Amino acid sequence: MRELRGNQALCEALAQEMANDPRVFVIGEDVAAHGGVYRVTENLLEQFGPDRVIDSPICESALVGAGVGAALVGMRPVVEIQFTDLITIAMDQIVNSAAKARYVHDGAMHVPMVVRTLNLGKGSVYASQALEAWFTHVPGLKVVMPTDPHDAKGLLLSAIRDPDPVIFFESKALYAMRGPVPSESYTVPFDKANVCREGSDATVVSWGSTVPMAEEAADRLTAEGVSIEVIALRALVPFDRQTVVESVCKTGRLVVVHEAVRRGGFGAEVVASIADSDAFEHLRAPIMRVANPGVPVPHSAALHKFALPSVDDLVAAIRRTMSYD
Amino acid sequence: MLDQPAKSLTDCDRVEMCRLMVLSRCFTKQALTWHAEGRVPQGLHPSVGQEAVGVGACYGLRAGDWVLPSLRTSEAFWTRGVTIRQQLHAMCGTAESISGGKETSHHSGYPELGILAGTGIVGGSIPVATGVAMGLRMQGTDHVMVCFFGDGAANRGDFHEALNLAAVLKAPAIFVCENNLYAQTVPASVAMTITDIDDRAAGYGMVGQIVDGQDVEAVHDATQTAVARARCGEGPTLLECKTYRFMPHYPVFDEDRPQEERDRWLARDPIQILANRLQLSGLLDEAAIDQMAQAVRDELDSAIAQVEAAAMPDPEQVFTNIYAIKSERMTS
Repeated sequence: MRELRGNQALCEALAQEMANDPRVFVIGEDVAAHGGVYRVTENLLEQFGPDRVIDSPICESALVGAGVGAALVGMRPVVEIQFTDLITIAMDQIVNSAAKARYVHDGAMHVPMVVRTLNLGKGSVYASQALEAWFTHVPGLKVVMPTDPHDAKGLLLSAIRDPDPVIFFESKALYAMRGPVPSESYTVPFDKANVCREGSDATVVSWGSTVPMAEEAADRLTAEGVSIEVIALRALVPFDRQTVVESVCKTGRLVVVHEAVRRGGFGAEVVASIADSDAFEHLRAPIMRVANPGVPVPHSAALHKFALPSVDDLVAAIRRTMSYD
Repeated sequence: MLDQPAKSLTDCDRVEMCRLMVLSRCFTKQALTWHAEGRVPQGLHPSVGQEAVGVGACYGLRAGDWVLPSLRTSEAFWTRGVTIRQQLHAMCGTAESISGGKETSHHSGYPELGILAGTGIVGGSIPVATGVAMGLRMQGTDHVMVCFFGDGAANRGDFHEALNLAAVLKAPAIFVCENNLYAQTVPASVAMTITDIDDRAAGYGMVGQIVDGQDVEAVHDATQTAVARARCGEGPTLLECKTYRFMPHYPVFDEDRPQEERDRWLARDPIQILANRLQLSGLLDEAAIDQMAQAVRDELDSAIAQVEAAAMPDPEQVFTNIYAIKSERMTS
């Protein structure tokens, strides 16, 4: 199958859905004439014109608020917030305007909006924050984190067609990743996690940019005769709890890995979903979390490696869980 | 001051606008009394003194136009056709409340009447209004959005971001600032160094206008001019309606305002201003205004009886309409 990079797959999703549905439009900083800082909206202006591909002022709050308003009257906005760190400015509009509109109108109005945003992962304290857990705490929002180009395209198409607001977290790692992507339009559902590797000794749950790390750790340990099941969540809301619970019932061991800060990270929710499920009595070892230890992500390469989880950290955590019998 | 009747208004319109203002004031006062007595669980942010703004701005809007009231713009609801009973249901959180008991009356929407629910975040609706207007324009309609907020909201970042964006996009929005001189208890003179919020319109390259917010016909005229401009693609307008809140921000607030200021504004009661004009024109006399108020009180009495007898929402309402599809997976 044809291969694309993640940013190209996302761009194709946008172009196909804009061609398919005249209500869809794209708005954000640098998305039109420039084609997006990471080329996710490349050539959309040429294809769909300035009424549907809109370069905006720097105004994250108004951008999301305007997306909410347009969605309320029947449009399908795709709002780009250039970096996840900037989404902090739009929190009121996301948490209060977008997430609550269906509820306060008792279903008579709704907000079919996608907010796309990017986590660079490293490089600057202000471009590297993994903030997905915040949004999982707000009823009314869906939180989606694609890992690979195939899922990126299918999940973005699902997000645009979704009747509720979706916060869609992209990563620089995803943009750079190449992978097979069908050329036709297709959707990937949010609520079915991807079991990337089947295994029997331990379950590793991850999402977004740390999934390749989990796969690499699994490969290394396979060479040592340890069988790892790797589960990539496609969305945190809705969370495919069942797949995780069933896996842990089988393996009896769980390690969760994510880029976000451990304290209050979504990993804690994954762990709790085992603690209060039938899988609890199948546990053979304490559950491990591999995550940011609770620090900003510093600029220097000599420093940021201590802030971000690594394959070595993950392998060590899995070995630790394997040491229990 | 407007010496002549607004050109777009018939005598019937003027009498009706008077009735709407009387309705709003009677409702507010009665609802506050019932709230104080414990009969109505939700309080109100009284708009007494400001009735001309919401009535004048909403009167004559068309089906397909949208409004986004502030938490104080009760008049937007009445003028677009919400009934006394509907708002009492909302205040009492009954099963018949438009939100199914999920929200208060002031944060409720009535989509079929072109009213969107504003959030509880002061100024938070201004960007949403820009987006509604943008959407209406993208759809090729000539509908408009009228958004209400106070002087306090005009100091929020959202005001700046949303007005700038609306101007850039030529969004058909009318931003109606009800400058009642106080953000809760903080005087506008403390919160900004300018006297006229209208000054800010120039910063966005937007048409701005100062309007006598106590004169319902002046508000209506200015709004209709802005609406006409918006309908033909000439972009948004900022209307600063100078007005005054005759009551505290919320009944429990003990506000200490200069007596001279209070007296000056109380002498400019918007209902009295229009009523005087209608009396001079021979369209109404005092007895007719009393009758209007009595009709509202009668309706209130029969409505409260119905609302008090109404069923409360089924507990299931807590869990509905959070997402399109109700599922345990989404709420667990």
